[in-house]
Parts: sequence; structure tokens; C-alpha cells
Amino acid sequence: MEFITGVYLFFIFVSLYSVFLILLIYLRNRGSLYVEREIKEVYDISVIIPAYNKEDSILETVNAVKSLDYPKDKIEILVVDDGSKDKTAEIARNIEGIIFFEKGYNSGKSDTVNFGVKKARGEIIAVIDADSYPEKDSFKKMIGYFNDPETGAVTASCFVKNTGKVIEKLQAIEYFLIAFGRKILDFVDSVYVTPGSLSMYRKKLLVEVGGFDTNNITEDIEIAWKILKNKYKNRMCLSAKVHTDVPDTMKKWWRQRLRWNIGGFQTVHKYRDSFFRKSLKMFGLFVVPRFFISHVLSVTGFFVFIYVFGREIFQKVAYWMFSIQNGNTIFEAPKLFLIPSVFTFFIFLLFVFTITFTYIGLKTMNKINIGFRANFIILFYLLFYLTLYPLVLLHSLYLLTTGNIKW
Amino acid sequence: MAKFGDLFWKALVLTVLVFLLGVLLGFALERNRISEIEEEFQRIDLQWNDAKLQTLYYQNLEPRFCDFAIRENLEFADKVYNEGLKIESYDQASFLTNDLDLEKKKYALLKVEFWLNSIVLKGKCKAKYINLVYFFANDLELKTESEQDTQSEILKDLKEKYGKDLMLIPLPIDADVSVINVMKGTYNISRTPAILINEKIKLEGLQSFDDLELLIKNEQL
Repeated sequence: MEFITGVYLFFIFVSLYSVFLILLIYLRNRGSLYVEREIKEVYDISVIIPAYNKEDSILETVNAVKSLDYPKDKIEILVVDDGSKDKTAEIARNIEGIIFFEKGYNSGKSDTVNFGVKKARGEIIAVIDADSYPEKDSFKKMIGYFNDPETGAVTASCFVKNTGKVIEKLQAIEYFLIAFGRKILDFVDSVYVTPGSLSMYRKKLLVEVGGFDTNNITEDIEIAWKILKNKYKNRMCLSAKVHTDVPDTMKKWWRQRLRWNIGGFQTVHKYRDSFFRKSLKMFGLFVVPRFFISHVLSVTGFFVFIYVFGREIFQKVAYWMFSIQNGNTIFEAPKLFLIPSVFTFFIFLLFVFTITFTYIGLKTMNKINIGFRANFIILFYLLFYLTLYPLVLLHSLYLLTTGNIKW
Repeated sequence: MAKFGDLFWKALVLTVLVFLLGVLLGFALERNRISEIEEEFQRIDLQWNDAKLQTLYYQNLEPRFCDFAIRENLEFADKVYNEGLKIESYDQASFLTNDLDLEKKKYALLKVEFWLNSIVLKGKCKAKYINLVYFFANDLELKTESEQDTQSEILKDLKEKYGKDLMLIPLPIDADVSVINVMKGTYNISRTPAILINEKIKLEGLQSFDDLELLIKNEQL
């Protein structure tokens, strides 16, 4: 058996394990995906909206928060301007019923949220990006999770607001599946990110752990890990929904994903001492190793792919060149039959699982009835969009190793 | 972890089971193909012995039946050639076992025998066909592999054009077969692709269709 065959088989083993784990968690908990928690205590909530150059969306975000179905005397809205260069501050300053802070300098989202936390009076801090719009009932659905004293944070299903462009449609599918996947991880206490679009935190805990890390560019991953490391739980409320603006060009998308990846690497590096630490339970035994292994496999897989694919391309090009030089025809009859091998079975199996996961995920998110056009987008998502992940990851690694990180 | 630890173990057990099932299936598929090749080899071997004896018979006792012997030899050549292509395609789908290597060696030996028989027939029966031995290797650097692929296609086209007038005998020089190693030394083959026409003209490196055709035509005169 060749070395490369061994590598393929290892990849297949890890992929199969992930698939079976997700499947088993889903099967055991499929009846509880949308189970809501009874509200035992109506907490005071401070909503912090950090804003940087969000003149187009800040008003809509604040209005969405104001319309929330939650006792008005139990909510305070804090908009913190992070030194915007546009009219964000001017717009926010004139909004009634909110507390507006103008820092006057740009120091990043973490620092801006930390600033807000210091000013907040509520027992629960809700962080909402200035381009995200929570649904009316989202707070009511989320707050019940805090009945459990071990719950440190609660997050919601994040959906794409505008789905006009193909890139937005692709992200819409991705976001549905991310929400579904996060709920699956919730059942094994492994929610590893509390996204900025809408997440709630116990203020006491935030203060206790020192707030958001200002050196990390994905503060929402880092804070989630910090909470887990401090033996609290992050919860995912699937029925609570928030809509968000997503990158509408490839360039913006790429930049966003670079940030996610680099931040992910920063977080893994910061918490490397937690790797396989039994005392940290799921965090040490599953969250950190899973994150690390998936990154390593993704990069390795990419190089293996480049090696195999590049070799094939080189051979074909050389073959065509030699053929042209020697007056030979370059046309080759396509091979119409496939000789089955050990990989045929596994690839077929993994493909079926991927399709199944996608459709179960979309069905769970009530987005299955989407017609032929949407099915085409899903296929495009599975066959092309997902293959961009390792490319971004590689670019992120390059930026990380060259120290060329600016955000 | 304890409250859902069983899920992780169950997933592991399921993974191991499905993984083993897939690997066993892979082994079974490869084993099945090797059995198929082995059976085919036995059939060809039998036919080959028959053809050899016919050659011997016609050579010693009935020289007027040369045409028949040549035809038999040609038919056999086609079968060995096609079987070689089949082994090659099966080899590309073999990941778990190396058992095909043995079959490849057996076929290489058969092809050598066939070549020698073609030489004998040619001498005794004054046959006009051209013996074209194509030396190739399996483990190569990328550029040489592409050269070989191109050469193989050129030779296929030549064979298609000249049919029974051309005996195409592909031989792997790195199959660890002693007789091929001896030939390699005898004809001083230093690289692949290499071509030997009628045991006289040795060509190394990629040869064009036109150049080869010219040589074949000259040999036919």
C-alpha cells in the first residue's frame, strides 16, 4: 500500500467518524431541536451595539432591538461608536430611547464591547452587531436558557438578510447549516462560538473572565472558548433568529473568511494548553482537538489535493505538448466506465452523508421547499463553494506566518 | 463528557465497522480482479502452449503451413496486448494489494516468449511483419511518464494502421524479470521510452509517428 493511499484512508476514517458522531447526536436529540426553555426569571438585559462605519444599518438595527417582545423596562440599549469615519455617530446620537457613547477613537470591536460592558447595568449582556436584526421573539426564546446557572452564554440562529446575489444565496445555505450544526454541538456542550450577530452573556461572568480579548480578531470565538474553559456552557437557541448583512462581493467574503480563520488560529494558539485536558471536559477533550484537527486536515488535504491534481495537470499538459510536437492526435476517448476500488465505496458513502446532512439541516431550518433553482444553488454550494474553504485557510496561514495581519 | 460519552464511543465503533467493511470490500474487489486475470492467464497460457507447439510442428514438419502459424501468432499477440491493457487499468484501481505485480511479471514473461517465437517464425517462414518491441517503465519522473504516455498512443495508432504487419510487444524494463534485464543489457537500453525494430534498430526517447513509419516502411522493403 502506497503512502498516499494511507493518507487518503486516514482522511476517510476521520471524516466518517465526524459524520457518525453528528448523525448519532442528531438521532438522539432530533425531538429537542426546537424545545424552548420556560422563562423563570425576567432578567435585566443590556443590549450593546458596537458600531464602526455602519451608517447604512445602525438605525434599522436599533429599531429591531426596540421592537423586541421583551419588557421595555428590562432592556437598555447601548450604542457604542468605535470612532466611525462616516455618519454612524451622527445618526445614533439622534436616536431616542438609547444610550449613546462616542469613544472618539477606533480600537476594535472587543474593546468597544468591553467599554459597553463597563457601562451596562443589566445582569445579562446582549451583543448585537450594528448590521444585524433580531426577530421580535428572539430574546424571550433565549433568556430561558439562563435558568441553568452553568449557562454562560446563549446564541441564536443567524440568517442572511439579503439573498439577491448568488454569493449571498450561497452564504444563506451556509448559515442555515452552521446554525443546524451549532445546535448539534450544543447537545454535547460544545458550542465553540457565540457570534456577534446576536449572543447573550452573563455580565458577572464577562467581568470575571476579563471581557473580550482585544488582541484576538475573532472575539466571538475567543470569548466562547474562555467561557468553556471557565467551566460554563454556551447554549444555542435554534428557534431564536437574527438576520444579518453578509458580504455581497467575493473580495469582501474572502476578507471576512481570512479574519475568521486567522482568529481561529489565534484562539487555538492561545488555548493550546487545553488540548486533551481531561479536567476541562468537552472543551479540552473535544472542542479544542476538533478545531485543531479539522484545521490540520483541511490544510493537509489541500496539499494532497494540489499534489495529486497538479501531477495530473502536469502530465496532461506535457502529454499534449509532446503529442503536438510529434504530430500525434491529442484527442483521447473518455473512459466511460469506472473500475470500482476501495475509494469508490467510501466516496459514495461520504457524498451520500454530505447530501443527507445538507438536506436534514435545511429541513430542520424549514428551508427544504426551495425548488429546482435552489437545489442548483445547493449543488453549487456543495461542489464549489466548500472547496474555497481550504484556499482561504491557506491564505490565512500565509498571512499568519508572514505576520501580515491588519484588521 | 460522561453523559454523552457513549455517543463518542458508538460513533467510533460505527466508524471502525464501516471502515473495515469498506476496506474488506476493497480487498474483495481487488482479489476478484486478480482471480479474473489469473483465470484469463491460464486460458492464454494454454492457448500459448498450443501455438508454440504448432510453430514447432510447422517449423520442423510442415513448412507450407507457415501462414497458419503466423495467423495464430498474431491472434495471440492481440489477446496478450488486450489483456495487458486490462491489467494496466486494474492496476490503476488497486490500492490495497500488490498481487497484480506477480500477474504483471507473468504477462511480461509471456510477451518475451511471444517475441522470441515471432523471431523464430519470421526466420523460418520468411514472414514480412515487423517486430516492434516497446520498452517502458512503471516508476518514473513526471516528464518521462508523459513521454511514455505519448509514445504509447503513437504506437497504438501505428498498430491500428499496420495491423497484422506489425507485432507490437510492450515490455516493462523495471518489472524485475531476469530475461528482460538481460535484454536491456544486450541492447544497452539506458532510458525509456525505448523502441527496438526488428531486433536491429534501437531508438531511445520519444519518437514521432512519421519517423517510426518511415523506419517501418524501410524495413518492409
